[in-house]
Amino acid sequence: MAPSLDLPNLPDADVARLAQQGREPAFRELVRRYERPVFSLVFRMVRDTATAEDLAQETFIKVLNHIDKYRPEFKFSSWLFKIANNVAIDHLRRRQLNTISIDGAPNAASVADIEATRFDIADKSESALDAMEARELGSAIERAIGALRPEYRSCIMLRHVEGRSYEEIAATLDLPLGTVKTYIHRARHQLRDALEHLRE
Amino acid sequence: MRVSGPSDTPALKPGSSPPRTASQEESVQHRHLLSNEIDLLLDGEAGFGVAPLRSHVDDCAECRARLDEARLVADALERLPHFAPRTGFADRVMSQVQVVEPWHVAALDTARRFVPESRPLRALALAGAGAASVAISGSAVWIAFSADLSFQSASFVADRVRAALVSGVAQALETTLGSGAADAIRSSGSLALVGGALALVAAVGASAFGFRAIASAARQRGS
Repeated sequence: MAPSLDLPNLPDADVARLAQQGREPAFRELVRRYERPVFSLVFRMVRDTATAEDLAQETFIKVLNHIDKYRPEFKFSSWLFKIANNVAIDHLRRRQLNTISIDGAPNAASVADIEATRFDIADKSESALDAMEARELGSAIERAIGALRPEYRSCIMLRHVEGRSYEEIAATLDLPLGTVKTYIHRARHQLRDALEHLRE
Repeated sequence: MRVSGPSDTPALKPGSSPPRTASQEESVQHRHLLSNEIDLLLDGEAGFGVAPLRSHVDDCAECRARLDEARLVADALERLPHFAPRTGFADRVMSQVQVVEPWHVAALDTARRFVPESRPLRALALAGAGAASVAISGSAVWIAFSADLSFQSASFVADRVRAALVSGVAQALETTLGSGAADAIRSSGSLALVGGALALVAAVGASAFGFRAIASAARQRGS
């Protein structure tokens, strides 16, 4: 029998180490700590509750089944968000959804590039979002986030919802620091434009 | 004084601080801020190049309005709630996670099971374990340093066991085959003794089998 530990008060790295030792309560503690942030990130990426739950579940299963590969010199949450983001982006790439095109890739050089890389958001869950929309700024923001390119969305979520530094976001998403700054800058700009009507 | 808008200034890579010279810093006071400069203020960046931007915002109502607008969006983003998955999410995840306990952890856990809960018992167990390990270590050292004695002791014990075995077998042969046959076998050496013992075992086995066959035939007749 493992010695009883005060898991909720241990730092992530220690809980992850206990999980590496095969302690089931440590696995559960990691899920408890991050189920909401991971689910929220994925939900805001895919805009569908059931899909977001499946993808969040997939994220945790991947992470926890490979917990032996976690290296404590990195933040556990960065590793987790990286996998969550990859799972969500892979899903968006796999599925061709019914869409509203928003923007091309930030480095798209021609109209063809923009067409090829423009981001599509699902409109099948729009009705669900419509219900909570236009009530307050938060709802309008949610919709505006949904209209961002996925790369912008993950960056802006990690920056403003999860409070990560630019360096952490770059490490989490495997992107150069300059690219992260560019994405966040453009995302903010788009969000400001999208919310302009609220100020009028 | 002409105040140029952001579109009049050369485009800079967003998010990166433009290299500043003294004249450029001075020029910040004579133009509106670029959007990446607004971002620097929004992110609360500190540093040599940010002070002139702050100073400009203090004096320029238009840039102050743009910064406030950016802050409004950032604040709204920061107030966004975390959504929760359905109840039982952790259980659904854990049903598909293989919890593997490495062997060394399992071994440690097993060892821990033998450690008593209470402090005095733990101290007693520790003292006992210490005494046992000292005794075992001492015996091992003694045996290592007195190998000859150990060898002699082992030979002595082996001789006694062999003598007891031979005497027992000879006695059994004498009882079953008679003293003459036993003497003849004994004088023929240990090989004959072993052969005689095997013959005795075979005879006893055959007798038992014969008695069993007779008893079985009698039972069949009776039924």
